[in-house]
Amino acid sequence: MATNQWWASETFWRKTAIWVTGGSMVVLMLLTMDTLSQISVGTTRVPAYSVINNRIEYKFDEQRKVQVPVIGAKEPLFGKELSEEEAEALVKLGKLTTQAKNCMNCHTLLGNGAYYAPDLTKAWLDQYWGTKEVREVQMVEFLKDPSDKLHNSMGRRMPKLGITDEEARGVVAFLKWMSSIDTNGFPYNFKSIEQEN
Amino acid sequence: MATLGICDSANLNGGQKLAVKYFTVAITLFGAQVLFGLLAGLQYLMPDFLYGVLDFSVNRMVHINALVVWMLYGFLGSVYWLLEEESQHEVVGLKLGNLIFWVLTAAVTVVVLVYLLVQVGPGKESTIWLINEGREYIEAPRWADIGIVVSVLVVFYNVAATFSKGRYTGIAGVLVLDMLALFGIYLAGMFYTTNISIDQYWWWWVIHLWVEATWEVMVACIMAYGLMKVLGVRRKIVETWLYIEVALMFGSGILGLGHHYFWIGTPEYWFSIGGFFSALEPIPLVAMVVHAVFDAGARHAKNSNHPTMAWLIAHAFGNFFGAGVWGFMHTLPQINLYTHGTQWSASHGHLAFFGAYATIIIAMFYLAVQHWRGGVWMSGDLPGNGWKWKWSLGLLNLGMVGMTVSMLVSGYVQSQIERAIEGSSWIGYFAAQAHPWFVQGMWWRELFGVMFAVGFVLLVWDLMTIGKGEKRALVPAVSEG
Amino acid sequence: MIEPASLGNFFTIFFTAAMVILLGALYALLFAYSRIRLVPALMPLAYLSYVGLFISTLVLAKAANLLSHPLWVAVVVCMLVGYLLAPHAIWHLCVGTHARGDAVPVKVS
Repeated sequence: MATNQWWASETFWRKTAIWVTGGSMVVLMLLTMDTLSQISVGTTRVPAYSVINNRIEYKFDEQRKVQVPVIGAKEPLFGKELSEEEAEALVKLGKLTTQAKNCMNCHTLLGNGAYYAPDLTKAWLDQYWGTKEVREVQMVEFLKDPSDKLHNSMGRRMPKLGITDEEARGVVAFLKWMSSIDTNGFPYNFKSIEQEN
Repeated sequence: MATLGICDSANLNGGQKLAVKYFTVAITLFGAQVLFGLLAGLQYLMPDFLYGVLDFSVNRMVHINALVVWMLYGFLGSVYWLLEEESQHEVVGLKLGNLIFWVLTAAVTVVVLVYLLVQVGPGKESTIWLINEGREYIEAPRWADIGIVVSVLVVFYNVAATFSKGRYTGIAGVLVLDMLALFGIYLAGMFYTTNISIDQYWWWWVIHLWVEATWEVMVACIMAYGLMKVLGVRRKIVETWLYIEVALMFGSGILGLGHHYFWIGTPEYWFSIGGFFSALEPIPLVAMVVHAVFDAGARHAKNSNHPTMAWLIAHAFGNFFGAGVWGFMHTLPQINLYTHGTQWSASHGHLAFFGAYATIIIAMFYLAVQHWRGGVWMSGDLPGNGWKWKWSLGLLNLGMVGMTVSMLVSGYVQSQIERAIEGSSWIGYFAAQAHPWFVQGMWWRELFGVMFAVGFVLLVWDLMTIGKGEKRALVPAVSEG
Repeated sequence: MIEPASLGNFFTIFFTAAMVILLGALYALLFAYSRIRLVPALMPLAYLSYVGLFISTLVLAKAANLLSHPLWVAVVVCMLVGYLLAPHAIWHLCVGTHARGDAVPVKVS
């Protein structure tokens, strides 16, 4: 019968637990520092807020075998080109509004949230908005009062949340900016709105 | 002197009196979770139900916040429950602990009332501070965040100081460090940023590292205490295994965080880190299987509390299926691309939270009631053959398994139609939601939810009556070795 | 870095992934039971479960397109070796940690 091997002792496992925990945390910290530098605004993965001045597409990448966002020609949101500061202020208003209106407890953003309403990661590119000419106006009108608009065959409707015109424009800017984030191909096989001229 | 069969606070030590308060709020919030879950589930089937009054977003928010808070209360209560026995010393700051309990409970009440009555605010930082932070699971407004952090700090102080003055055991050491981590990690979720990738990066620190690391270890501590208490396992063995489990769980769980970093903008190297550590995460579960069989074979002790033991067994199975099987089925990025953010996640979430945490807190409730009534008999031969605890155990577990399987069917349809074929577009989303299989899954989920609710009512009734008027005292578990 | 699974393989992936975990637990269960109760007849069944796990893992790997990338092949190999050895290692730990005081009729191999 085995007795008192070092590898079965309490002390050995106490030390192991401490080292494993500490080691994992150190590795996580290092990875966090690297990741944060790669996903800060203005990088290839997470473009600058002024990207809302451009057309954003979602195209299949042969090498990565998934779709990736492609930033195209100038196509300013609401027909007005914004400076970096103005763009940031507008996107910030939109992001704050999505939090204040609790969007995440019906929708998913980048796939996280609740499952009662469609994912918003590529909402800007969704064919639901018809053509790219009417998209911005449609989105703003929808956000301000979605309760009387056609949603689906099941009767599920978004409630009127008291979103102002300015807030709605912010949300649209936020959604456009979010659609430019490189999400490693999520969502897959997305069919984008027609944007060619 | 113990008064058998009556809930008498003279039967409890100081920490346990406070624990009973925490447990009472915990089970109340558990009830709120079930109620609002039923409301939200019904809205999938009848979208006009409470539309514009209590919208899905509100019900769902209360459903998941009640979950987080009742479990937190359950854990804090459990810690106070074992504190004096484990340290062999009176709780150092009991008055402060009591005060903080009332402050925290008042704060929770205000938060819930604001959720229900105010619901949303304008798109300003003031909304995040006062009404709702709008981030799933941690919606609590910033002022309440600060309250939670202060409360956890006070409990941490009580635990650390009590153990320092009394006996500083192995369980104490793990518990103190875990409480510190519980406090520290929550801070990662307490700031605003417009960059949603960075927002979700830190958000997962709170959600994953709280739930899949610090809570797991808290459960391991409670389990260690429970095994000594209910089965009379020797301390040295229990503590060695506590360290082994901490090593295995933190070793696989901390970097297992990677499986949440596939699709939020984070670099591709998270695929391999997340995939590798997800493949490792079932190892602690396999270890528990081997160890449980070994223990069962090595010992023929009679246990002194049958409901607690039954819920510990439910914990073992629930944890294994919910976290292990349900988790691994859709964790590899090659398939998670299609299941992430569908009813798959809901299915996994329900079984894993219930199996890993709800079960063990319910086990603690029964242990607490047994001692509150002066250490009454809770083995076999209960009045009515213990039908209430047996039926509530059956209904709660069957209800949960039923809900989980129903959502799995819906999620399966969703991953195929919405994700693979239609690519998560608006049209694809509703095509899946309207599919007969999906709709049927949602109906069955609601029915099993009602079954679960009946089980909950029975559970509350049983906890209020079990051991009432019982004249037999418990036979303490015999310590081996 | 990854090659998304194709629609036709969804069921295979869900099923084999579940089987990996279930058979892993069954293997651990039979293995431990066979040793603690001294029932050698169960040991072949334990290893049969592992063979099932082995096959499930390979089918999963094929269906989830893991085999065309060296990194994912490494994950698969780690799983195969890890799940084979884990119950052995844990068993030895059980014996080692319970060494004093327990009169358990165990066989240490």
